[in-house]
Amino acid sequence: MKGIQKAFARTPHMITTKVGMSKKSNDPEFDDYGRRFTAIEQATDKLLKDTKAYSEAVSNLFTHGQGYATHFATIFHPVTGEYDLIGKYPECEHTIKNVDGYEGALQELKAAIVPELELIESRILAPIKELQQIMKTIRKTITKREHKLIDYDRFNNSLTKLRDKKEKTLNDEKQLFKLEQDFEVASNEYEYINTALKNELPRFLMQATQFIDPLFHSFFYMQLNIFYMLLEKLSGFAEGKFDITVAAAEIASEFEQKRTDAQAQIEALAITQRYMGTSKMVQQNRAGGLSPGAPPGRASTTSSVSSASSRLPPPVRSPQPSTTSFKKAPPPPPSASAAAPPPYSPPAPGAVVSAPITKKAPPPPPPLKPKPKAAQYVVALYDFTAQADGDLDFRAGDRIEVVERTDSSEDWWTGKIGDRQGVFPGNYVQDS
Amino acid sequence: MSWSGFKKSMNRAGTTLLQKTGQIERTVDRDFADEEAKYKTFEKECQALMKDAKGYSDAMRAMTATQGRLADTIDVFYSAADKTSDSAMAAHAYKRSIDDLDTGIGRELDAPYRTTVMEPLGKMNAYFPIVNEHITKRNKKLLDYDSARSRMNKLIQKPSEDPTKLPKAQQEHDDAKEVFDMLNAQLINELPQLLSLRVPYFDPSFEAMIRMQCKFAEEGYEKLSGVQRYFADNVRDDYAAGQLDAQVEGVLQEMRELTICGAA
Repeated sequence: MKGIQKAFARTPHMITTKVGMSKKSNDPEFDDYGRRFTAIEQATDKLLKDTKAYSEAVSNLFTHGQGYATHFATIFHPVTGEYDLIGKYPECEHTIKNVDGYEGALQELKAAIVPELELIESRILAPIKELQQIMKTIRKTITKREHKLIDYDRFNNSLTKLRDKKEKTLNDEKQLFKLEQDFEVASNEYEYINTALKNELPRFLMQATQFIDPLFHSFFYMQLNIFYMLLEKLSGFAEGKFDITVAAAEIASEFEQKRTDAQAQIEALAITQRYMGTSKMVQQNRAGGLSPGAPPGRASTTSSVSSASSRLPPPVRSPQPSTTSFKKAPPPPPSASAAAPPPYSPPAPGAVVSAPITKKAPPPPPPLKPKPKAAQYVVALYDFTAQADGDLDFRAGDRIEVVERTDSSEDWWTGKIGDRQGVFPGNYVQDS
Repeated sequence: MSWSGFKKSMNRAGTTLLQKTGQIERTVDRDFADEEAKYKTFEKECQALMKDAKGYSDAMRAMTATQGRLADTIDVFYSAADKTSDSAMAAHAYKRSIDDLDTGIGRELDAPYRTTVMEPLGKMNAYFPIVNEHITKRNKKLLDYDSARSRMNKLIQKPSEDPTKLPKAQQEHDDAKEVFDMLNAQLINELPQLLSLRVPYFDPSFEAMIRMQCKFAEEGYEKLSGVQRYFADNVRDDYAAGQLDAQVEGVLQEMRELTICGAA
């Protein structure tokens, strides 16, 4: 009730100061501290928010890491009826054997992080919350000072006005006396609180630094420890199994090299192609030639699956030749077989030669469908980037209208995509 | 939906109902059911894997990003009072290291993570709707086949007056069977192939993932541990001994004793 009364009493003055009718005193020294206090106040809120966000991110990292490992391991476990995954995919043996260890390692990591997160909760978050509480009470004191300042100004203004009045009535004299008393009280109260703040805010600001000091150090070591745990566990797991010293930039290129034609094989399956309508399929079925990848009957399953285990060399881009004479020559003949795309790799000349040889022979190209129509289309098996003017750029999966082709797929063919026409290596594509 | 499509779906709804009430015999193909179940598990696993892979990379970025913000904030605390203390220097060093780490991780790991983990998963997950469409088709054609067979059988048991009816029903039955068998055989044949190919398909992602995880941990550890140089010698031991926590508590207590803090 008293608070409301006070608020009403102060309102007219606040309005008059806003419109510049009455004077408002200020104290630059205090204002400076006030600003810094506000900065710390905001910083504390942010610190609290970001600390929470950080521990959430850490917890997510470990939870998702573990989830990833678990699901990955599940995918690499044989499903019912699969007996010899390693025999079928000998080059994947390393992965198949290690997924369980990986899952275990990440599970342990996830368990190990729990105490660390609790540490952040109790040693970092809790003190910050306390600090926030303390600052709230200080903020209250500052608000109180504002109010006392308004009172002080208010009485001060009234007093000056009354004093300046030329002819004072009896009432005015009485009023003047009362105002003088009020002003005295307000002035004392304001002085007291203002001095207290001016004395103690700097001390508080120092203390805030003293507070952040050990907190920052603790937090730093907790963060460091989290990285350390990650590093120790992961490199401990990878030790002797995986080469983790590879530069980040090479991870992707090594991945590309290890990539097989599995994707092309998956895309060759009829069930990964859009459903094309029953009547068309029936016709094809009756004609005897099913679409590639869907050999009729179940008997062929084994044979076609086992063909999956043999590999194409990875689709490798041929080294950028600087000579223009390259254009005339057909694309470099892959050493292993006719169906292999031109080698992909990059400048290292030794690797280019040896890579395709060490790999097994690619599976035979899928049976071609008889093509009754005049316009012929082929489908790109790999990305092809133009190496010279007049080359036809395309991405794996593009449909290319053949304008001119030779009998050999080791040659440059001419084709069209939309209105782009150009030449491309015939062994990059497959009849659609 | 076209008129014929609507008619088809009505007929199939009728067949399903009759099958439920036992009027029409339902074909059960164990081979297909097995393959479908395995495929469904695989689909679920891939989707879960994708979610976790996404979550993992988001968490990596969030970790370094929040650390960056924390470093900024800690800097504010120091600049409010003293900018020149050793701790303030350490805070600066921390900020620099974190910034380095954040940009480094973004530059070095974002792209490989996308190519080696997210993209293969995304592509695999994109096949599923198509495969599911094939399965739906197959199930619809199975209903057609069941209903055609039941109609034919009824005519055989109870020959109609009209002699053309039976051959017609037989023809319909044969057609429906042919379509169904074809779709069914294709799925039974190819679902295991798809499943089996998962191994070589995801194989290279595994090593790449481990490498990137290690790289992240290594970078983080290296960049951060450099900051220790700026700390006073005793800080590490104090942390280990819990001294730092006591200091925090002590300062908080001092703050509470200020007159402006409730005492006034």
